[in-house]
Amino acid sequence: MVEFDRSAFIGKFQEEATDLLQRLNEGVITLEGDPGNASLIDQMLRDAHTLKGSSRMVGLIEISDVAHRLEDVMVKVRDGGMSYVPSMSDSFFEALDAIVYLTDTAGKDVECEIDLEALQVKLTVLAEGEDAEAPAPKPKKAAAKKKPAKKKAAAKKKPEPEVVDDVDDDEDEGDDSEEEAAPAATKAGGSMKQEDSLRPKVQHTIRIRTAQVDVLLNLVSEVVISQIKAGQRSLELRTSQSELSEIWQAWVRLKSTLNALSTEDEGLFAGIADDMSMLDTLLSERRRSLATFLKDYTDDVSRTSIVVNDLQEHAMRLRMLPVSTVFNTFPRAMRDLARSFKKDVDLIMEGGETELDKKVLEEINDPLIHIMRNAVDHGIETAEVRKQLGKPETGTIRMEARQEGDHIVIQISDDGAGIDPDKVRAAAIRKGYISESEAAAMSDREAIYLIFERGFSTSAIITEISGRGVGMDVVREFIVEKLKGSLDVESEMGKGSSFKLTIPLTLAIIRALMLRVGDQTFALPTASVEETLRIDPTEILKVEGREVIRRQRRTVPLVRFSDILGVPAQGPEGVKVPIATVGFSGHRMGFICDALIGEQQIVIKTLGSHLQKVENVAGVTILGAGEVVPILNVPDLMHNARTRAGQRTGPVEKGVDSGPSHILICEDSFTTRELERSIFEAAGYHVDIAMDGAMGLTKLKEGLHVDAVVTDVQMPNMTGFELTRAIKTDPALQDIPVVIVTSLERDEEKAEGIDAGADAYITKSVFNQDTLLDTVERLIR
Amino acid sequence: MTDQPVVPGMPGAEVVPGKDLGIIAADVLRSRAESLAAEAEIHELDDQMGILLFRLGDEWYAIKVEDVREIDQEYARTPIPCVPDFILGVVNIRGEILSVTDLARMMRIGSVDVTGDILPAIVVHNDDCVTAFVVDEIGDIVDVPVDSIEPPLSTIDKLQAEFIAGSLYVNGSLVGLMNVSRILEPIVAVG
Repeated sequence: MVEFDRSAFIGKFQEEATDLLQRLNEGVITLEGDPGNASLIDQMLRDAHTLKGSSRMVGLIEISDVAHRLEDVMVKVRDGGMSYVPSMSDSFFEALDAIVYLTDTAGKDVECEIDLEALQVKLTVLAEGEDAEAPAPKPKKAAAKKKPAKKKAAAKKKPEPEVVDDVDDDEDEGDDSEEEAAPAATKAGGSMKQEDSLRPKVQHTIRIRTAQVDVLLNLVSEVVISQIKAGQRSLELRTSQSELSEIWQAWVRLKSTLNALSTEDEGLFAGIADDMSMLDTLLSERRRSLATFLKDYTDDVSRTSIVVNDLQEHAMRLRMLPVSTVFNTFPRAMRDLARSFKKDVDLIMEGGETELDKKVLEEINDPLIHIMRNAVDHGIETAEVRKQLGKPETGTIRMEARQEGDHIVIQISDDGAGIDPDKVRAAAIRKGYISESEAAAMSDREAIYLIFERGFSTSAIITEISGRGVGMDVVREFIVEKLKGSLDVESEMGKGSSFKLTIPLTLAIIRALMLRVGDQTFALPTASVEETLRIDPTEILKVEGREVIRRQRRTVPLVRFSDILGVPAQGPEGVKVPIATVGFSGHRMGFICDALIGEQQIVIKTLGSHLQKVENVAGVTILGAGEVVPILNVPDLMHNARTRAGQRTGPVEKGVDSGPSHILICEDSFTTRELERSIFEAAGYHVDIAMDGAMGLTKLKEGLHVDAVVTDVQMPNMTGFELTRAIKTDPALQDIPVVIVTSLERDEEKAEGIDAGADAYITKSVFNQDTLLDTVERLIR
Repeated sequence: MTDQPVVPGMPGAEVVPGKDLGIIAADVLRSRAESLAAEAEIHELDDQMGILLFRLGDEWYAIKVEDVREIDQEYARTPIPCVPDFILGVVNIRGEILSVTDLARMMRIGSVDVTGDILPAIVVHNDDCVTAFVVDEIGDIVDVPVDSIEPPLSTIDKLQAEFIAGSLYVNGSLVGLMNVSRILEPIVAVG
């Protein structure tokens, strides 16, 4: 699929924004003379709202932030929380000017000279009383943007490492306006902090593009591989040294025999005496020189190996950031979560200083948020219930990070109700994952692990908090597949549950079990391997036609690697059958291979740009001798193994493919509409559009058949909520999934969306192509 | 494939097996420069295009030199399970992992014989993707006028049509010019 290019939509956004800004400017002037004009206020609120949403869609976060503040003030004015006074106009104009400026320079390499920070503070003060904890302005971003003269010095102000590119503008790294120091004169408001640029500073840090660090790390792993090779070469040399010793000894024996001969036959001996002494000298010289060379070489190798290890460690550290860079956003998220679920929760965080690879950190935010949400939603009881149970009324969620060996452990525990294995069993039976008899045979611990099953999600609606409607299954797969770590859960009824994420310090190097299938070696990430066995064939039992073994009073189904990978097996060398048992999602499975070779550290490499995703294969590694070895993908293996072992793996999916799916997009903003349309069309959807809810509903009523509706909320004529309600109450239409895409983020509004019957709710702040497509695909399926 | 078909004027034999593409290219460049000088520059350089000829089974094909990154004659291929049949595995080229494609099988015109000697692999690339495809024989690099490239034959099989960007006559015989972007479409092998 082609990645969509946000910059292509900036032009469209600029056109749209010009109109909106013009109207807002006129509105402010009219409002000065007529502060009570409710319809005008409504109109302005809508305009500011559209501006916020559209700017977010094209990745212009600064504009969105300013528009958001404006909107906050307008909401206050509309709801009567404050009345419009002419003195507000100054701030309004300043904000509008700032947006005009930002819009004009959007997508260009121009330094922003507006003091956004001060402006945001001003607007927040204006909207004050609304929410004491309104999101603080982003000083980091603003600081980096408003000092063109000392651009390179921007980083010095922050001796602590910082995630340089945030997720939102990752894509347009190339034309990031931070890159160029080309000050553009502007009169748009805000005080400039010129004095900062005059103060000379010592450079303690430099900003480096992450791509550059990645290149460096790649090179370093090449060096590590060569180093391993060098070590093996020195072993080979040692072997040849001992061979030479044997030759020498054979020669010595031969020499003494020949010397004994010489006394008998002088004449014959004279002919070979010279050759003998030459050979003697040569051989002993050879021995000596090889010994010296071997010693020097081994010394060199072990010296460089120390340096290389240091090099690797320091290079890896370049990309290490404290976990707090992710943790720091959690108190706020937790507060919002607690509020939306109407629960009292304290969040305690420890070990924020623990460092983790930036790549891992980027990936870990969503799973953590999801686990937290789960804890608040399903774990922590309401205050009344807690009181009755004799627990403190405020629940506690504890998030700890710590290093254990070459892994980082992040543990999220709550003191809530714990996971009820019976409830999970019941849900699993209801959803067709297991039969009643299977459920009865399951231990409580196994039952709890059912929450990690594919598609096992209890929530009725997909909301943005749960990301793309992720269940614990996705979290688990993510941790295991992408991060090559593991996720475990412990729970005690009435006491709480604890999720433990174990993640390798770095994504580049893992430990793996090397095994042989057929004539090929494969690497199986050790994180998921429970044990390796060599068992007697008589220990393999047949149960209902499946091969199983008994381990610790549990039945472990067996599958052959050769069957799953489609590689011909050679059979084990000895009598015993080599097996690696793998634990994943609470299931154990024994994989039969032809030989277990051993465990070692491996450097992970991708399969190259051409092979983007191959089932069962996560990547390759290069062994010391240059041999390329495929790394197996545990979630895929387990999934396929279970399918093969005849176990049910999830609810039956609709298998029939009836041509391209059809989507109706209801959206009044031109920019957003076109952007969404291009996303869906690029993904092979057939797209219909409507400018507002009423038009969309008419199309549907007229018999337009669609597989899903994607709608904005605030639209003229009929809002997205009204449209959703209309669809969900119409017997002919109610089966059509509705996805609400909006910039409304207030909880009441989200609740209204859920109330209206929407199947998914995506806010524009988390909007991206994958979220949208994944959500819709999930619903259509 | 022992009986190598003889294509009229196809100068396959002139290429020393294993000879570095860079050297070949340098030779071509030098001779091109000489001939240009001799011809008093009738043709502008822009009108010319370098193509590399290669053989799959009985047919000769061509690929633009600018799409070629290198040619490898010696490499160790590692099979990867669960991939489409036209992916022969991966190779480690100076620490970089590349897929190995059986272009003949990809185009459904047969397959290369990988059981015998290592066949030459042409590494092609664009901005996003790289692969090494195996051919039965590497031919020469020739310069052809850009406007000598005609649309693909209309009689061409639909299965192969998407792989062929055009056709042209080289020394009197018709050669298909490969559509590299089709070869380089990323592969997602799931399910």
